[in-house]
Amino acid sequence: MNTRRVVITGVGVLSPLGNDMQELQEALEASKSGVQHVESWSEYKDFTTRVCGLVNWDNYKEIPRKSRRSMGRVAIMAAKTMMDAVKDAGLSEEQISNPRTGISFGSTMGSDEALFDSIGTIAKEKTFVGQNSMAFLQFMSHTVAANIAAMFKIRGRNIPACSACTSSSMAIGIGYESIKYGMSDMMFVGGSEEAHPYNAGIFEIMAATSTRYNDTPDQTPRPFDTERDGLVTAEGAGTLVLEEYEAAKARGAKIYAEVIGYATSCDGEHITTPSSEGMEQVMRLALDDAQITADKVGYVNAHATSTPKGDIAESHATYAVFGDKTPVSSTKGYMGHILGGCGVVESVIGLISLKTGLLPANKNLVTVDETCAPLDYLFEHRYGNHDIVMNNNFAFGGINTSLIFKKIEEK
Amino acid sequence: MTEALVRDTLKEVLIEEFEVEEDEIKEGANFFEDLDMDSLDAIDLIVMMDKKLNIDLKAEDAQKIRTIDEFVALIMTRA
Repeated sequence: MNTRRVVITGVGVLSPLGNDMQELQEALEASKSGVQHVESWSEYKDFTTRVCGLVNWDNYKEIPRKSRRSMGRVAIMAAKTMMDAVKDAGLSEEQISNPRTGISFGSTMGSDEALFDSIGTIAKEKTFVGQNSMAFLQFMSHTVAANIAAMFKIRGRNIPACSACTSSSMAIGIGYESIKYGMSDMMFVGGSEEAHPYNAGIFEIMAATSTRYNDTPDQTPRPFDTERDGLVTAEGAGTLVLEEYEAAKARGAKIYAEVIGYATSCDGEHITTPSSEGMEQVMRLALDDAQITADKVGYVNAHATSTPKGDIAESHATYAVFGDKTPVSSTKGYMGHILGGCGVVESVIGLISLKTGLLPANKNLVTVDETCAPLDYLFEHRYGNHDIVMNNNFAFGGINTSLIFKKIEEK
Repeated sequence: MTEALVRDTLKEVLIEEFEVEEDEIKEGANFFEDLDMDSLDAIDLIVMMDKKLNIDLKAEDAQKIRTIDEFVALIMTRA
């Protein structure tokens, strides 16, 4: 089968560590934390965690009112990153609205805030009177994809990718496959998540949130560490512009990297318990898609969320594929778990790694859990000459994704 | 309820919720042609005014309103 090469030509990102790629890079290099103490969550009874990764951006009026009215924070942040990515890629309205230009975006939930405000009242008072027309459009599952499509006048394919923590990594994969196999020439891809106590509360019910570091938020989460006590939810968003390589080259586009491999596969087992075999399988499938061997990968950005079981399972899966010679870190220690947005934000970190050589340390990793596999864990930042990185993400439902990016020499 | 109260409330809602510029809110202004609103905005305007003034406005009333004056007149018939 004839396939086409796919490159990244635009980036937009909002994260707890910074609101563009440069800020994110500098904060990573300075080992800053984007996790904060959130005292307002104390209004919920029997709810312990007080830590969350928050984005310092609320300039909502950058989005025109008519586009913004049907967006909650989750879609507003995504739309902001889409604006930034489009500008970064230097695209015209004609290119954006070309029928061969499509999108794929996802989030775990639509706007939690809109959902709470609307459904809570309806359920309690048993009436729809007083509800506005916008709440549903803000909390529906594909709110990010739908709103971005309307705002930017997208005419091509729109495939929402709502699969919890693999939403935005899957969106990148969908965009990559769309171009690789000829269905689109350009794809805007990414995802988002807004902070809300609901996200954290649900994980707390499952005994999966961090609760011991409420007064020292920069010390949690702690992927792979013996003192980890669960994940920290976070918010953020990101957009990548994907283009067919020859077209990008012909228009003189700035090229961040090539997407050379992607795979998604399913554990087909437990709804929440991670499967090391499933994780290993998806990494091997992505390497097959990229037609490279594991030793060519110079850095693995792990999903590792700082939960007891997940980190162990992932470490063994990664070890089975890479052994102990490939540098590995989870960058959730800097900002928490952006859920539907983590795949794209962590992919941007992969692009930073390719650009600068930075191999970011596992923030808060002091002593590796002895039941984790003996990987080459990054305890401090290193700098390498690598030209290929892998980004792994895993979600409830046993859904796994693995993406591989390669540095490209512009000619 | 006085007409002045209705007009002031409407003005406040248009500015705060629909980000209409104050100098655009003139007698006879058309919601759709002059204030860049549409049918979804009209429904939400009805809901907000209903809550603010505690009157009996329904979603179908949104189809009857075109201008500020028509809307104020409609509200006064329900007040």
